[in-house]
Amino acid sequence: MGRGYIVQDDVEGYLSKLCEQKADPVTGLLIGQSSTQRDFVVMAIRTPQKEEQTCTLLGFMFAIDFQVSRMLPGGLSVVGVFIITDADAKDALTTLRQLLFAVENLISSEHLWDPADDDVTDCVTLHINPKTRKTVCRTFDIKDPKSVAKPADWKYQSGLCSSWATVSCSLNVDMLLPLPNNRTSTGNMEECLKEGLKAWAHQIESGLCLIDGKRLPEDSELTVGQRRNVRQTYTTQLLITTVRDENKRLTDVIEQCGGSVSVTGAIHSRAYLHSNKPKARLAEKLLKRDVVSTVATRVQMMLEELLASDQESKGSDPGDFFFLPPFLTVPLPFFSGPLCVCDYQFSDEGLSEVTERLKEMLDIDAAEEDLDTRQEMTFEITGCDITPGGHRDMHACVLCPDCPPFCCLGVAMATAVALLATAASMLYLNDI
Amino acid sequence: MVVVDSETATVLRVKGLLEFRCQLDSTDEQLVRNVISRTFETLRSQVKSESCVLAVSDSPVIIWPNKDAYATPEEITPSTLCEDMHQWIQADEQESSGKKSSKKKSKKSSVASVINLRLMTEVTKPGPLSAPILTKTVLKSHFVSVTLPLDCVVCTGRSDTIKDACEQLIEALTHQLCEMEKVTLQNMKGMTLLVPEPVHFLLPEPKGLVTVVYPVGVPDSQLVAQRKELHQQFELPDDRPYFRRANAYHFPNEPYKDGYLRNPHLALTHPTLDNGKVYLVQGIYSYHHYMQDRVDDNGWGCAYRSLQTICSWFQQQGYVELPVPTHKEIQQALVDVGDKQASFVGSRQWIGSIEVQAVLSHLLGLTSKILFVSQGAELASKGRELANHFLTEGTPVMIGGGVLAHTILGVAWSETTGQIRYLILDPHYTGAEDLQVITDKGWCGWKGPDFWDQTAYYNLCLPQRPKVI
Repeated sequence: MGRGYIVQDDVEGYLSKLCEQKADPVTGLLIGQSSTQRDFVVMAIRTPQKEEQTCTLLGFMFAIDFQVSRMLPGGLSVVGVFIITDADAKDALTTLRQLLFAVENLISSEHLWDPADDDVTDCVTLHINPKTRKTVCRTFDIKDPKSVAKPADWKYQSGLCSSWATVSCSLNVDMLLPLPNNRTSTGNMEECLKEGLKAWAHQIESGLCLIDGKRLPEDSELTVGQRRNVRQTYTTQLLITTVRDENKRLTDVIEQCGGSVSVTGAIHSRAYLHSNKPKARLAEKLLKRDVVSTVATRVQMMLEELLASDQESKGSDPGDFFFLPPFLTVPLPFFSGPLCVCDYQFSDEGLSEVTERLKEMLDIDAAEEDLDTRQEMTFEITGCDITPGGHRDMHACVLCPDCPPFCCLGVAMATAVALLATAASMLYLNDI
Repeated sequence: MVVVDSETATVLRVKGLLEFRCQLDSTDEQLVRNVISRTFETLRSQVKSESCVLAVSDSPVIIWPNKDAYATPEEITPSTLCEDMHQWIQADEQESSGKKSSKKKSKKSSVASVINLRLMTEVTKPGPLSAPILTKTVLKSHFVSVTLPLDCVVCTGRSDTIKDACEQLIEALTHQLCEMEKVTLQNMKGMTLLVPEPVHFLLPEPKGLVTVVYPVGVPDSQLVAQRKELHQQFELPDDRPYFRRANAYHFPNEPYKDGYLRNPHLALTHPTLDNGKVYLVQGIYSYHHYMQDRVDDNGWGCAYRSLQTICSWFQQQGYVELPVPTHKEIQQALVDVGDKQASFVGSRQWIGSIEVQAVLSHLLGLTSKILFVSQGAELASKGRELANHFLTEGTPVMIGGGVLAHTILGVAWSETTGQIRYLILDPHYTGAEDLQVITDKGWCGWKGPDFWDQTAYYNLCLPQRPKVI
């Protein structure tokens, strides 16, 4: 009695097309959602082929280098790997096993959350022979390095995701962390931020989750999939408390530091839930994980960019502002359901660069008009005055590609200016 | 139990942690104080904002106090009475999602009940949003990071609604942050800061529960001036402590971590004598008896246990900070004062009232009076003296005679008829800390004059309260 994978029928078409290509082998990732009751696969993505690079572990590492998992909102994750090759079935299975363990270990090593007891640790491997089109489907328990292959079912179904539900929220982030004395390079900032993010992730994990304004018992079922083709969204609220750091002594109240780093602002987060009687516990878990990973991803991307450009301005301007890239979504092209993948747009990037990345990483053809940037906005600082009191007054405007500056999002702008002001006041507390 | 005043129906207690963080650009004292004040002001606005949330412990009820007391589940409205909240609270550990099915009417008593709330922050908010900003300052400076433990108590009357309670709670929280700011600034020395901590005290009627913010780590001995001020403010006598840390009020739903029973005599019904009155020990003591603390003192340790009960009283009223001494420590004290030989330590020798008096003096610095009766039958005539003792000193009394030692916690005495009963706490009990057994079987119970060996002589040790605050 093995696991049963229910697969969106478009995946069959995608895999067939790959079979027709000349390259052998073709490897890729299987994206979906695993729950204790059922397993779903919604998408397959081939590994980006880099010139003559054949199926190697390195090839996979490159692809997954968190690029792919960054582009998956909550609820969607890598549930397995596939290979299209006419090589011997046993060899293929061995390769698949290696790839699977490498992929899953890499992804889970970056998680800022602890694995939960009810996490499914079985992942699927799929071998397709391009000539005979025979598929062999097996699962391995990735928590067990000695795990053996178990048979599993692979069944295609149309309209699989049309009745999936979306759980979402918009969330405030407000972190202030000290930088160590004498070491304020970007590398050290990364350490501080990672630690701060871990503590913050712990707060989110232990927070209370309200779904549609109510605190539901963990095992209660959310009514999903009652009606086909009706978008079901649940708004969630997260309530957190500060958690006391047991390791901190009561006397360590003031410490010397070399500066500080703060992350303030608001983010959008969402998770998708399968339609087979999902429990409130699952919704809460997936959403919280998405909240944590979206903030961590953006901070990580920001740090990577800083390291790459190697900006170290310690001189005249003691304060630096960086906008973390905002979030945008792209509906998966061939579904009538609510599923989207997501990406983050740097201020110096145009939408065309985003569509390029989508093609490269996820093998999705998306047009610029498919990209939905309405969830979050960016701001650009247009001016900065230093008043006699030493305060910096920030002038800001909304940066919105199709709108003129100072467009009519009055309320939002006031909020944003307040955010900037808060950020500014936390830095420049000096009254000189 | 909280007997706050006859008007109070429910006591609401909100606890929570708030993060206090700021960067100090300079070490100039005035500037540092400004930054600290400003950070406290930020926390006060947070408490008054719409993202401040109160979650009722052990229940699905969540209230937004600054959104006109909007609450979930939807059956709770701003005009719901505070005392109706009890229906939503489950005593056991299971997650509750609805009302308790059995609505048992709790008997109307003058004892108020406590509802615990947790202070939380809602981090989600409706969009549209702006993407987060990462800001970095590079500047040699200082960073302040404290977790402030907020703990406020509000007393609500029978007709108070959730909305009324929310107003009071938010005011209490804001006020506490102001107090914390004051204490923090008062106790700042250069670049060191002490964490402010709230402590609750139950003052005699009609004052009720009062909360004081003390700096953590500063011992009682250094806070005399603050206590004097508080005694003046609340018009309390200046010869007994009310505001030492040990006097902190112990809420009924909080178990004691050390596992000892407190005041088992409160579970008893007191005797009624013709024209008689009941005179009881004042304050809180722990019940010490045979076999506790993994010491097998069955048959020889009764006086030691009675002494431990007395020591526990002085500790919990805040007169001493010394923890309750062990048998060995008691024996060592007697060796140290020259009353016993060194071989006494580790032995199973009995002690009497004189030794108890000596230990109380040597270890705890206390004076005690000794009362002697040549025959047990005479004890009945000591009603007035014992009544006076419990009225003025209110300390537990150790009595030793014949081959037994006991603790007297009170007397019921009639001045006109001379009838007398003694409230006895028996250290010879060898069982577990089971209040039911202890009271049912009379290990803590009222005894008549025939309880004493009528022909044996008895010594009583009556410990005296020091006149301090």
